[in-house]
Amino acid sequence: MTKADFKGHSRLVRFSLVAGLGLIALILSATAFFNTGHASQGQGEYVITGQLVDTQGQPVQEAQISAKLPGAEEPLVQVDSQEDGSWALILPRVPQNELLIEISRPHFASQTVALRSQQANELATADTYNFGTITLERRITAGFWVSTVVFLAILLLIAFETLHSTTAALAGASLIFLVSYVGGALNPGLFIFGFDRGISYINWEVIFLVMGMMILIAIVEGTGVFQWTAFQAYRLSRGRSWLLVLILMGVTATASAMLDNFTTMLLMTPISLQIGIAIGISPLALIIPEVLASNVGGITTLIGTPTNILIGAFAGIGFNDFLINQTVGVILALAAMAGFVLYHYRDEFRKQSGGISPRLYETLAENAEIEDAQALWKSGAVFLLVLLGFILGEKVHLVPAVPALAGATALLIWLNPDVHKMITAVDWTTLVFFMALFIVVGAIQEVGLLSFIAGGMSRMIGENLPLGTFVIVFGVGTVSMAIANIPLTASMLPIVKFLSTTIPGANSKVLYYALSMGAAMGGNGLLIGGEANLVTAGITRQTDTPISFAEFLKVGLPVTYLTLAVGFLWLLIRF
Amino acid sequence: MAKTILCPTRGGKPSYPNQDQAIALAKERDAELLFLYVSNVRFLGRTASPILVDIETELDEMGEFLLTMAQERAEKAGVKADIIVRRGAFREALKNIMEEREISAVVLGSSAEGTGYTTREYIQELSAEMSAKTGVEFIVVHEGRVVSSHKPGSPQEAGQEGP
Repeated sequence: MTKADFKGHSRLVRFSLVAGLGLIALILSATAFFNTGHASQGQGEYVITGQLVDTQGQPVQEAQISAKLPGAEEPLVQVDSQEDGSWALILPRVPQNELLIEISRPHFASQTVALRSQQANELATADTYNFGTITLERRITAGFWVSTVVFLAILLLIAFETLHSTTAALAGASLIFLVSYVGGALNPGLFIFGFDRGISYINWEVIFLVMGMMILIAIVEGTGVFQWTAFQAYRLSRGRSWLLVLILMGVTATASAMLDNFTTMLLMTPISLQIGIAIGISPLALIIPEVLASNVGGITTLIGTPTNILIGAFAGIGFNDFLINQTVGVILALAAMAGFVLYHYRDEFRKQSGGISPRLYETLAENAEIEDAQALWKSGAVFLLVLLGFILGEKVHLVPAVPALAGATALLIWLNPDVHKMITAVDWTTLVFFMALFIVVGAIQEVGLLSFIAGGMSRMIGENLPLGTFVIVFGVGTVSMAIANIPLTASMLPIVKFLSTTIPGANSKVLYYALSMGAAMGGNGLLIGGEANLVTAGITRQTDTPISFAEFLKVGLPVTYLTLAVGFLWLLIRF
Repeated sequence: MAKTILCPTRGGKPSYPNQDQAIALAKERDAELLFLYVSNVRFLGRTASPILVDIETELDEMGEFLLTMAQERAEKAGVKADIIVRRGAFREALKNIMEEREISAVVLGSSAEGTGYTTREYIQELSAEMSAKTGVEFIVVHEGRVVSSHKPGSPQEAGQEGP
């Protein structure tokens, strides 16, 4: 291609772009014009309005509202209720006789209200008539039981590692849709929700935030900064293993607040094993405290744990909110944890390290060196900018997924890594897990299971905020020892939302913070309580010093209740 | 050519008695030692969390470090030792090494109860099978004691149980 050809080609591309944009602008303008025209045609018509709520006062959306004349088969007009439960029927004229308003929605008892002559007169005079709030009663359908069984089955399949978490969640989502469509055709009670409604439960903010962070972390982890930090901790401690464990706990907790705790432990465990074995103490005296600190440290930030990402996106809790409201509580919990760890492993920490040979020291230093200094400072700079985006973005209502995606893209442009490699660094199984899980949790929300649980909890807690906080912190903390905390948190969110409206003072979102603490700290109770625990145990099994269930329990269980208690007390003080 | 004794090990304090037994045997037979570490990331198979770390390389480095420790122990005892790190299933890795190198004997160890990932029964069964297949002597040690030896073509072929 000659230079003239290139210029001509470039001009053609620019012209095409401008023409394309112009066409889009034209279409948008025309759409806006016709929409305005359509709206103006509606003037002078008669509007009947109302709002639908369930027995807990929560809005009922996507209910079908039909206006029918008595005895008629076909409705005169039909609409769906909106997100806030409101609906508006537009009639061409005022009915001469009684008009029946039929309200139906799967998993609720259908209801009919009548527009009588007196109300019709009001409609004729004012052009509108408002039925006010109409309460719909929940109905337990066959779909309710199907959704409940599917959700419980997923929890069990994940807990017993019978299926990969993603396969389990995907199987659940598929089953929900199959039962809805195939079963629903045979027995309407089996209908749970349609495809569009199911997909609407997916929280795309969570998906894009997780995706953006995955790319960022994949670039940062390749620099070797975490292994380098662990080695520096060893150097700093000068053979004092009690100091080494404290520094490693601090490093792990801080790293977990920036990355996720699973990734942090993947990075920290191998190097910590090497250090522990080399200095002649049980490496578990370093690694178990590290994993406990990683599970708690992540609570400080929005991006520190997947559960915080879920909570943040659902409740509109931003990066700053987590930082301000949780950090002191987390530091206090870590201090209590450190005290217990130093006491529990006192015999190990009393052992005098004989130091390691120059050859081993060199190997260790080699394994812990910064792999790519240039990538480190570039990714470090972008990571800081992303954090700034999280902190300052809230002022302009910037959702956290945007700085994460922008940062990931900036690094891809700046560092110019192999894009295919970076895109494969996005763990699609995790994203699919989240999407499928949202659908399944949406199903148990749709059929009313979560409403029933929320109602029960509300009756138990009453209007007592400290009791509510206690129940969430310790209840969720205890359950999440054995149940995967991501599905648990996802299913608890609508319940906490409801409780936040019924308990005076809970609009401070304290119950969401309680959920965050319970879900993360509870993961420390048992070895199976969190994926970070399991992956750490998996790595230690690569040596002759594996973490056993009992060994973890001896430290994890007391630390869990200790940190839950500290976290609970902090929330009482803070709110 | 010097005889080579292969000693697969996972490193860590519980494996020292078995390493010492391999070192003593190498000294007795005037053989060189080859320490083998095999990592296996099958444990990541069921996780829902994103695996963004090149964990296999991390484990290779850890294996190399643990084997360097074993190598130092051997050299301190006056035995020449080499190290090798492999990935994947242990049985397969062991088979491959034995095809690639000329191995005169293999020392397989199981750790004290509750610390070892591979059980004594597994080690015994593997030794008998591999010995029959490769014709190489397999010595099984447990907590630093020889518990059985599988040597094809000798009266001990069926496996001689130690005390």
